[in-house]
Amino acid sequence: MTVIETEPPEAVTADSLSGEAYRVAMRRWLRANLPAGFRSDSAAFVAPTLQQSIAWEAAMHRTGLAGITWPQAYGGHGRTLREHLIANQEIGALAMPESVNSIGKELAGPIILAVGTEEQKRRFLPAILEMRDIWCQGFSEPEAGSDLASLRTRATRSGDNWRINGQKIWTSGAYRSQRCLVLARTGPLEDRHRGLAMFAVRLDAEGVRVRTIKSIDGRESFCEVFFDDVEVPQSDAVGAPNEGWAAAIRVLEIERATNRMYRAWRFENELRHLISACKTDPVLAQLVADSRYAARIGEVVVDIEVLKAHVETVVDALVSGDRIGARGSLAKLHWSEAHQRFAALALELLAQASMPLLPAVKVARRRFEAIYLQARAETIYAGTTEIQLGIIADRILQLSRGK
Amino acid sequence: MAPTSEGLQPADFAVTAERAVAACSGLGLREQASHLAGDGLLGVVAHEDVGGLDLPLAFAVPVVAAATSGLLGFPLLETILLGQLLRQPVPRLAAAIVRGEVLATIAWQGSVIAEREADTVLLNGWVARAPCATEVDHVLVRIGADRAALISIEADGVVVEEGAGLDLTVLEHGMRLESVAIPEERILRDGAWARLCSDANVLRAAAILGSAGACLSLAQEHASTRRQFGRALSYNQAIRHALARQKLGLEGMRHAITRSLGELAGALERDAAFLAAAACGTSISEGALQIHGGMGFTWDVPVHRHIRRIRSLQAQGDASGLIAALGRRYVAEIAPAAEAAAAQ
Ligand SMILES: Cc1cc2nc3c(=O)[nH]c(=O)nc-3n(C[C@H](O)[C@H](O)[C@H](O)COP(=O)(O)OP(=O)(O)OC[C@H]3O[C@@H](n4cnc5c(N)ncnc54)[C@H](O)[C@@H]3O)c2cc1C
Repeated sequence: MTVIETEPPEAVTADSLSGEAYRVAMRRWLRANLPAGFRSDSAAFVAPTLQQSIAWEAAMHRTGLAGITWPQAYGGHGRTLREHLIANQEIGALAMPESVNSIGKELAGPIILAVGTEEQKRRFLPAILEMRDIWCQGFSEPEAGSDLASLRTRATRSGDNWRINGQKIWTSGAYRSQRCLVLARTGPLEDRHRGLAMFAVRLDAEGVRVRTIKSIDGRESFCEVFFDDVEVPQSDAVGAPNEGWAAAIRVLEIERATNRMYRAWRFENELRHLISACKTDPVLAQLVADSRYAARIGEVVVDIEVLKAHVETVVDALVSGDRIGARGSLAKLHWSEAHQRFAALALELLAQASMPLLPAVKVARRRFEAIYLQARAETIYAGTTEIQLGIIADRILQLSRGK
Repeated sequence: MAPTSEGLQPADFAVTAERAVAACSGLGLREQASHLAGDGLLGVVAHEDVGGLDLPLAFAVPVVAAATSGLLGFPLLETILLGQLLRQPVPRLAAAIVRGEVLATIAWQGSVIAEREADTVLLNGWVARAPCATEVDHVLVRIGADRAALISIEADGVVVEEGAGLDLTVLEHGMRLESVAIPEERILRDGAWARLCSDANVLRAAAILGSAGACLSLAQEHASTRRQFGRALSYNQAIRHALARQKLGLEGMRHAITRSLGELAGALERDAAFLAAAACGTSISEGALQIHGGMGFTWDVPVHRHIRRIRSLQAQGDASGLIAALGRRYVAEIAPAAEAAAAQ
């Protein structure tokens, strides 16, 4: 494993700092230790290798920037959700690469904390934070995307254990993962969301085959995963059998609401980068000051502020003991659409740059072309826009569907 | 939201405000004023010296939202702000405004030129978008860029135009000022106008929230009860999704208002709350009209009153000018990329 040599985080021990002092320490640490080459707004940017990402994220955890709210008994830092938000604001402010284990840290971990056994918590959670286990999420199937309740991958009892057969698709990062959180059917297909269970399946188990799929951006990040008589011990069943759906819904609520909480601040980092790059080019500098573009930039600023307001509202609600419920769909819907609008604006602006391209504009083009393509997925994954609108109509507005 | 020392919460004011607004229906402007004052609503943010409750601006949010939701025909936002603003220069007048005995409004558009002449100041110019100006006693007008003056509507040289504008519930007026003489003390200090606009933007957002919320409720109710093709309209996904988008807009503006009143909030958050409300409020109210079909185009369905109100509030806050200014300000604050340029 590559070791990232980091400076000590200035006496950041689990309990020594809180609130704004924690922010200051985290900001200093991030700025001192984030390798320049990891920053996509830098000319020196080179996408980190898997080993580099693992080392970097393990260092972030040691510093107090992962597993922030998880109990110390499971390797977490036992801090408040507000500090989780603070950390995310600081992470978002820097153009650092996405986590290679966000599914582990933001989906699998929270769900295991909620419904896992004590033994599972002790076994799985520290391994996620220390980056020994990278997780992926095996929900979608070729015949079950938006309609997850119709999934066919089957888990059957085999003595004390389970046997899994079926196929998953669009499983992000499966090729580099050790574990997959698999949603599988234990009852008849007609039962829809009754009779679904969740399993923490080892990807090196016999009978698992992973095939990467090339995506729009030329990368091979998501995969098909085939399960052919895969033996899964009962100790890897997450939550009660037949309660997989309830657990899955909880995963998805988290995915929509609190997952990558830094998004609003990363979005702001992107806008600032775009403007700073435009300002190096006389033509673009004039365009961004022009009333028409200034107004469109103003709209992006408002979108970002509204997103921050959504995120902070979710944090306030959680702090006061509420469940997120369907509200996560509001933030997800707003963010994904606003980010797509912004990405299109960034392309439109950068397309008008003077020739030959100035260095800062080149860096921005590279970053924003990637963002534009990746943003196409944002209204699809974690539940499509249409599905979010359906959730808001059903569960928030409670509109009647009856005759 | 943090409770105040007396344990009051802004939400506590929502119920009182809804009741008071309903009770104002059919009353003249002066009767409404004494009614609203009796419930403590006109002085919600004004200082105790002038009889106000001296609460943070957050407490005026549910009051103003209830006012537009109930289509109150009173310049409430202006009155609430003036009760607070006029405490320094003219405390007795501020107190009378808080008590509902004197009526005042603000001309949101245009500005006048002030020239000193002996002990008085002479004002000349045009202002507009002054809600209910023909029925009030005083109007606050902008001088130049960032000062303001309070003028008596009875003063010589004040010509108030007939009411106009989209908003039928609160008519707006333009005014011409020809050598209107006012005493020096009626001139508010530098920076007063900017601060006033900043508070006004939060309350405008609240007002739009009230109207937009009312529109969404009307649309929701109509979609659940109106039947076409043998089913409630709400059975159709296009309608469900349209309403869900409206809900997204409504919650976005609600959260943005809350955020704009937070401890760390400044001009950016306040402007953003108003601009989010202006954009979403218009689409929610226009969308509600669409969901009502032909019925939506009728005078009797109150959706049009809310559209009118929201469009007027949007113009009073100069949303289109503000969004470009916000963008320009944001752009101006960011330095050109240095690192990337140097590294090549
Ligand atoms: C980059 C990326 C990463 C992903 N990562 C993962 C992962 O790690 N793990 C995982 O399990 N899944 C993952 N997914 C899968 C993702 O969750 C699904 O693609 C998504 O749920 C949509 O399902 P689908 O692709 O089958 O589309 P479909 O469900 O077939 O939908 C196709 C279109 O029809 C619309 N539609 C469907 N049903 C309705 C309806 N009832 N009303 C109106 N419109 C409807 C949809 O909104 C969409 O526009 C990923 C997807 C992407 C793009």
